[in-house]
Amino acid sequence: MTRGTEQPTDEDLVAAVLGGDRDRFGDLIDRYQGRLVNYLFRLLRNADDAHDLAQEVLVKVYQVLDRYDPQYKFSTWLFRVAQNAAIDQIRRRRLKVVSLRQEDEEGEGRDWDLPSPERGPYGELRNRERGGAIQEAIDGLPWEYRELILLRHFGELPYEEIARLKQMPLGTVKNKLFRGRQMLKEKLKDFLSD
Amino acid sequence: MNRPDHSTFREWLNLDADGMLEREERARLEEHLAGCEECRREREELIAFEKLLERSALPVRSGFADAVMAALPPAGWEAQSPRTWRFPLAVAAMLMLVAGLMMVGSTSPSSAPSGLAALDAVGGMLRAATLAGAGLLGASWKGIGLIVEDVISSPVSLGAFGFLVLCLNLLLISLVRRRRPSAVSARGRRDAGGR
Repeated sequence: MTRGTEQPTDEDLVAAVLGGDRDRFGDLIDRYQGRLVNYLFRLLRNADDAHDLAQEVLVKVYQVLDRYDPQYKFSTWLFRVAQNAAIDQIRRRRLKVVSLRQEDEEGEGRDWDLPSPERGPYGELRNRERGGAIQEAIDGLPWEYRELILLRHFGELPYEEIARLKQMPLGTVKNKLFRGRQMLKEKLKDFLSD
Repeated sequence: MNRPDHSTFREWLNLDADGMLEREERARLEEHLAGCEECRREREELIAFEKLLERSALPVRSGFADAVMAALPPAGWEAQSPRTWRFPLAVAAMLMLVAGLMMVGSTSPSSAPSGLAALDAVGGMLRAATLAGAGLLGASWKGIGLIVEDVISSPVSLGAFGFLVLCLNLLLISLVRRRRPSAVSARGRRDAGGR
């Protein structure tokens, strides 16, 4: 997201909310909803679950906002809560690793609703293939790389925040992101020329 | 710094894509890229990779932010926020104003005994109670009786007293009032739908 210098920081918005200006929490939601939903979508592999959990996470964060320590980035805190919530949900539901399809109430498989930048029958097909391939490639990564790739590419967290969140040295984060990205690129090489 | 090898430049390409490369390193990378076709191709792949992930982004459900805002329950810390206290403070200020009006109304020529006299009696009572120690409770009832007698003897004071009671009620309501979440999550709606 592009931000002008005059825009309030996350920490300013949190202070405003704690000062009684509840609407400023809406600004924080606007700022993070896309990243949060996409991050959770890649972890949970389901768009509805991702939206629901993102809502739960935001509500939870609001309820304990007075415990936020401004010496840390708000985004670090938010994604830590989100990651813990997602892991809890994955454990609770014992999600199976699926690739392209999921079952609806009638037991019929259906494709996930992925964005469709390409129009026309061929474009739609290509989008589905691509969306499925990306998810499969991400799912195929070892967890130690996957969690960092998701935080970086879908949570859009900078390296320093990832290091703080995962309590890893910055050099380890750099190394794991490099290796994880190389693995992903290799798996997705057929789609890189699109 | 030693001359970086080829694998280092590949790592630098990744760091550069994330804006993590120092200026000096970036200059050396650019210099290397000018003469290395493999690294140029690697950079193009990285750019294509970033675009691929961007294109796969899931659009956020319409009205998501509004739904979250509507579902926010009252948080414990809200009771301490200035905005929460704004209404009670306004009521308290109004109470003080009403008390002032009561005094003015009580001191008008038509009212007898005067409000000042009643207050003086209460003050005297409190002084006496302080001195008497154990007699405090009984003396307070006497003072309250004097005030009530003063209030009901004047229509202006009686009206102001009624307003005072109303304000006290509003104050009480504002302190115990809790906002209720006006929306349920999408999962709740789905569950209610018999999923």
